[in-house]
Amino acid sequence: MALTSAAPYLALLSEADESLKTYALTSLNEVVDQLWAEVANEITAIEELYESESYAHRHLAALLASKVYYNLGDFDAAVKYALAAGNQFDIDEQSQYVETIISKCINRYIAQSQKFVQAPSGPAPSPELTFVFERMLQKCVQTGELKLAVGIALESYRLDIVADILAKADDAMDLVSYVLVIATTVLDNAAVRTQTLRALVALVLGMAAPDYFVATKLIIQLNDAALAAQLFTDLHTKADHLTALQSAFDLVSSASQELLYKTLAALQANEPLATDRDFARVLRVLTGVPTCDLDVTFLANNNNTDVSILNKAKAALDGRNSIYHSAVSFQTAFMYAGTTDDSFLRANLEWLGKATNWSKFLATAALGVIHKGNLAQGRTILQPYLPGNSGSHFTKGGSLYALGLIYAGHGRETIDYLKKHLIEDGNSAGNDEVDVILHGAALGVGVAGMASGNEELYEVLKTVLYSDSAVAGQAAGLAMGLVMLGSGNETAIDDMFQYAQETQHETIIRGLAIGIALLNYAKEDTAKTTIDKLLEHQNPILRYGGAFTVALAYCGTGNNAAIKRLLHVAVSDSSDDVRRAAVIALGFVLLRDYTTVPTIVELLSESHNPHVRYGTAMALGISCAGRGLPAAIEVLEPLSKDPVDFVRQGALVAMSMILIQENEKTFPKVAEIRKQFAGVIASKSQDALAKFGASLAQGIIDAGGRNVTIQLENTQTNTLNMKAIVGLTVFTQTWYWFPLTHFLSLSFTPTSITGVREDLRVPKFQINCHTKADIFGYPPKVADAKEKAPEKIVTAVLSTSARANARAKKAKAEKEKDDMDVDTPKEEAPEPPVDEAKVEEGEEEVPEEVETEDASTRYTKTPYKIDNMTRVVPSQLKYISFKDERFVPVRKFRGTGGVVILKDNAPGEPAEFIKTIRQLSNTEAPVPEPFTLSEEDAE
Amino acid sequence: MTRTNTTEITNSLVLVAKSANSFDNRYVSKAFRDLGALRRRLTAPALAAVVARTYPVGATKTYLAAVVGEGDVDMEAEEASEPLPEVDAYVHLLVQLYLLDTGALAALDAFNVHVVAQLRAHNRRTLDLIAAKIWFYVARTYELRRDFVSVRPALQTALRTATLRHDDETRAALITLLLRNYLLTHDVEQAANLVGKLEFPEALASNALVARYFYYLARIHAVQLDYSRAHEYVTAAMRKAPQSVQTVGFQQAATKLNVVIELLMGDIPEARTFTADAALERSLAPYLTVTRAVRLGDLQLFEECVAQHAATFQRDATHNLVMRLRQNVIKTGIRIISLSYSKISLRDICIKLQLDSEESTEYIVAKAIRDGVIDATIDVQGFMASKEIVDVYATTQPQAAFDARIKFCNLVHNDMVKAMRYPTSTNRVDLKAHLEASDKESQLLKALQDGDLDDGFF
Repeated sequence: MALTSAAPYLALLSEADESLKTYALTSLNEVVDQLWAEVANEITAIEELYESESYAHRHLAALLASKVYYNLGDFDAAVKYALAAGNQFDIDEQSQYVETIISKCINRYIAQSQKFVQAPSGPAPSPELTFVFERMLQKCVQTGELKLAVGIALESYRLDIVADILAKADDAMDLVSYVLVIATTVLDNAAVRTQTLRALVALVLGMAAPDYFVATKLIIQLNDAALAAQLFTDLHTKADHLTALQSAFDLVSSASQELLYKTLAALQANEPLATDRDFARVLRVLTGVPTCDLDVTFLANNNNTDVSILNKAKAALDGRNSIYHSAVSFQTAFMYAGTTDDSFLRANLEWLGKATNWSKFLATAALGVIHKGNLAQGRTILQPYLPGNSGSHFTKGGSLYALGLIYAGHGRETIDYLKKHLIEDGNSAGNDEVDVILHGAALGVGVAGMASGNEELYEVLKTVLYSDSAVAGQAAGLAMGLVMLGSGNETAIDDMFQYAQETQHETIIRGLAIGIALLNYAKEDTAKTTIDKLLEHQNPILRYGGAFTVALAYCGTGNNAAIKRLLHVAVSDSSDDVRRAAVIALGFVLLRDYTTVPTIVELLSESHNPHVRYGTAMALGISCAGRGLPAAIEVLEPLSKDPVDFVRQGALVAMSMILIQENEKTFPKVAEIRKQFAGVIASKSQDALAKFGASLAQGIIDAGGRNVTIQLENTQTNTLNMKAIVGLTVFTQTWYWFPLTHFLSLSFTPTSITGVREDLRVPKFQINCHTKADIFGYPPKVADAKEKAPEKIVTAVLSTSARANARAKKAKAEKEKDDMDVDTPKEEAPEPPVDEAKVEEGEEEVPEEVETEDASTRYTKTPYKIDNMTRVVPSQLKYISFKDERFVPVRKFRGTGGVVILKDNAPGEPAEFIKTIRQLSNTEAPVPEPFTLSEEDAE
Repeated sequence: MTRTNTTEITNSLVLVAKSANSFDNRYVSKAFRDLGALRRRLTAPALAAVVARTYPVGATKTYLAAVVGEGDVDMEAEEASEPLPEVDAYVHLLVQLYLLDTGALAALDAFNVHVVAQLRAHNRRTLDLIAAKIWFYVARTYELRRDFVSVRPALQTALRTATLRHDDETRAALITLLLRNYLLTHDVEQAANLVGKLEFPEALASNALVARYFYYLARIHAVQLDYSRAHEYVTAAMRKAPQSVQTVGFQQAATKLNVVIELLMGDIPEARTFTADAALERSLAPYLTVTRAVRLGDLQLFEECVAQHAATFQRDATHNLVMRLRQNVIKTGIRIISLSYSKISLRDICIKLQLDSEESTEYIVAKAIRDGVIDATIDVQGFMASKEIVDVYATTQPQAAFDARIKFCNLVHNDMVKAMRYPTSTNRVDLKAHLEASDKESQLLKALQDGDLDDGFF
């Protein structure tokens, strides 16, 4: 029978005899879980016993006190006394009490240790706590829960333990990948993250058989050229050229321009390497030229643009109004982005000629978007428009901007040319004509020299800025940010902030504000002072910049403090612009947790303030871009019918960004939404702004010949796609300055798998895709409008029934038209023959199957074949496998697209190759004609 | 009969599963709403059928079938998958109820051990409400077996676990069970200790539990002579308790306690208290007589009444409190005398109240003056002189009373607002309807503009 009262024992506590006290404590310790409420009355006596140094069993008293506090729910005190109990507290005991205390200990240790690492002058965690913590980790390791141990150690910033565990682990590579993921996505202290990654690199490179691909990922995260150079030197000494090439391609696809430059410079300085013939290829890849070339070739060869959409839009928006003209220019640019196919512009020269002023500027710049990445021919194509020719200054400025867009992120070949213009005209800023040219040149230089950290360029731009011309200064401010992107350069920030306060021109302030935001890209807490300064400024334009600085500094981190701050600004700032910017910024911060965005912004989407609603739309568009998230579309749908025109615009654009590359199989609603875009453009009652948005939306959803997506995370390396994020950031500035719309083209990533041999040639072979052929196919093209047969009216009908009939007929006609859409076979010519076969195969599917299809049933055992260098959308990647006998990927294929280096198992035998644009342009081929290549050409 | 019974149970199980899947405890509450009616009609075959349908072949199924006493449960019936822990717990609860209602206490006791082990295996918030109920019947089993002490460790351990896991309902249930347990063994001191050191999840637990908790608090405080606190708690308990036929028992107990506490405070409950509710009237009869005695200050009547109803008071656990009323009877007598006479000799008081001696009368009167029952002075010559009655409306007393009432009303209002549930984003639905309407309108507008509707009749 259980004891009903602890009173007898408690009475013993006040006895003088120590043995009696000890007896009381021992007995109480046994019954404390039942009678704690009573024991708690005497807690002071027990605490006194612990504190009296002379008492031999004071640890027992501490344990008892700890248990009482634990039962009282005061866990802090419980932990304190448990730690004081020394040996009496048995870590290995299997009880709820010990479990709870230990988990609280670990939490407390993590908090203290984090604080200690951040401020080493503060108190270190107490030795007792450290003991418990380390003991628990040991236990974890012993039971084989290595990931758990590593995770907790990392959270407490105890890198020594992490390194220790990794060094001893059997399957270290698995753990390294795990730590890499944790470090990049969960760890919130930038300094510790860098340290962790450094430790990992050292560990990986120190292994007997290092995984160089993981090392590449780490180097990209660290942005460290010396390490990159070391990696390639290592690979060279091991004569592992294939791996070196794959790493180089990975580096090009995700690293900043600065890292590439420095790595290249370091490798070229290394005499024996630079002259090595095999290694020359790696160096060439690192220049970025082959990547661009492959991308452009893919886009050109697979261009699936539906020109009838464009024609219809052009007809509907035929324009006296220049906004409509611009809209169609943008739409054309996006739809053909990177395909090098400017046939539409050339076919409509008369229409193009109607452009005036800035419309001309951006129509010329559209050429840059279309030829984006066509490094070999870019300059030649733009030659007729560049300064030095007779032509409007708008054409000249636009062509310089276009040049920048073509060489975006690979500016080596063109920066000097653009810089020359800036230097020459820099002094005569203020003149209207020169200003426009300067504007174009500054934007061009910014895009081409993005993240190059080029000081010289920065100084040149600063000169333009200081001329205080509204038009040129705006572009210069923005370009300064682009050049120094992500550098966090403090003098630059100070310069820009200072000037923003001095100048009278709002455009310049805005350019500088965004420039500062760009400078702080991914700087997280280091950007805090700048953010505070901007967000607390009295000038709303600078606060606007502050919101974007939060967006970029905490981009993709999901940082809670940042989100809280943005939400606060979003509902409380006095300026609509700032509120809008704050909501948009939410989209950037939550890039990685995009699924949470719809719920977070749902309430904001019902705000009374149209600016906040617009911001909501853009935030959704940005965070869920290319993800096809139904929840996001659900929030956007009402917004696309909003009473305010610009909200509709934002919602339409956002929808297209989310649904890019989706077809009816993967997202059934997409057909309806496409129809909505067309409907808005054709409607007479819609406002100009909404039509502009719908036109952009049509361009975006079918961008790049339907072969690109917006990907804000690099799948190969799990890093953020800086270029795409910058593109979106500047794109959102379209609100104030429409030529910036072209920046969205920076966000387009080609979706292909391109197998490349060691000699950088693209062999023809086939890849397996384990789905039904049509699931990830191109969406059907729009049928041309059928002519309506004239209606014959025979008998007089009542007006009401006439109306009803008319409407019924119309509805029916529309329905028929829909059906036709599906059944019309494709007739567009520039389709590679094999691709066509694939499409036809798709056409045979019965459309009704759409409803029954669901994600789990998509996998099919028998695959169908797709060609090398054809479209593979991101969601399709997990169904892809390489089964070719001859060409095998050097890295095990794990569902990442892009360039895949192949090992040729029969190098001697002849193979067919796909000629790239660069190779074609060398022989001066007039029009790209893929797949007409014969074997001797390839030789 | 069995068929309908089985369907009912299955319906409840569906609700329980739904609540587990949607993390919304509302559905469990819905299932509980039908539990009372269901309980009265539980039969072994129905339970056996449910067990057969719910569980896959295995130890649990065999065990449950054996407990229900229908060995011939169709073991090979359609293959069910392992049920959700919530559904499992709910079935166990039903079996508990069945055993309790059929009086199979020994079987129930053995079954409880099994249930508790089952509960401990899961750490799910969605189990909270069901676990609270299960614990209630576990404790009830011990109580019926007159075994009060041995259940305490189990309750304490469970309470600790529930606190750590933030299972608020279970926590609240266990606290009330412990209090009840202590009070049944008259361990008021222990109960007070427990109450003093625990935080009751008042805002999170269900009303029934909060009412019970307040009732026990009132009893503890009443015993500890803190009548005003006790009165607060007992009124709160009466207010919080669900006002339905099922809770008549609780209302009776609470009202009885309330009457006694009011009398102890020197107030006389209104006559309406005893007659307003037909369901309470008969059970309150003894308390009515006591109240009369106190009101009249008639000590003799009081003694008679107590002697007559002693058994009832014992049963109601109010006997010791009623005994304390003797003092109040005397005080009331003195008060009536003080109101009637501006000056009266202690001797007369002694005779009127049938007290033992003049000396003790003096002590009693002095005590009454000190307690503020009467406003008077004792003369050295052996007289009690009442002071002039002042106009109460000239003092701040009414103001204070109003203030207290306003505060109380505000509190009730705030509690009510807090307790309201708002449906999640129905405005999205409204928005949709609104959009559809405006869509139609714009279509019509477009048709008009395009002139599609005009041809054919001009």
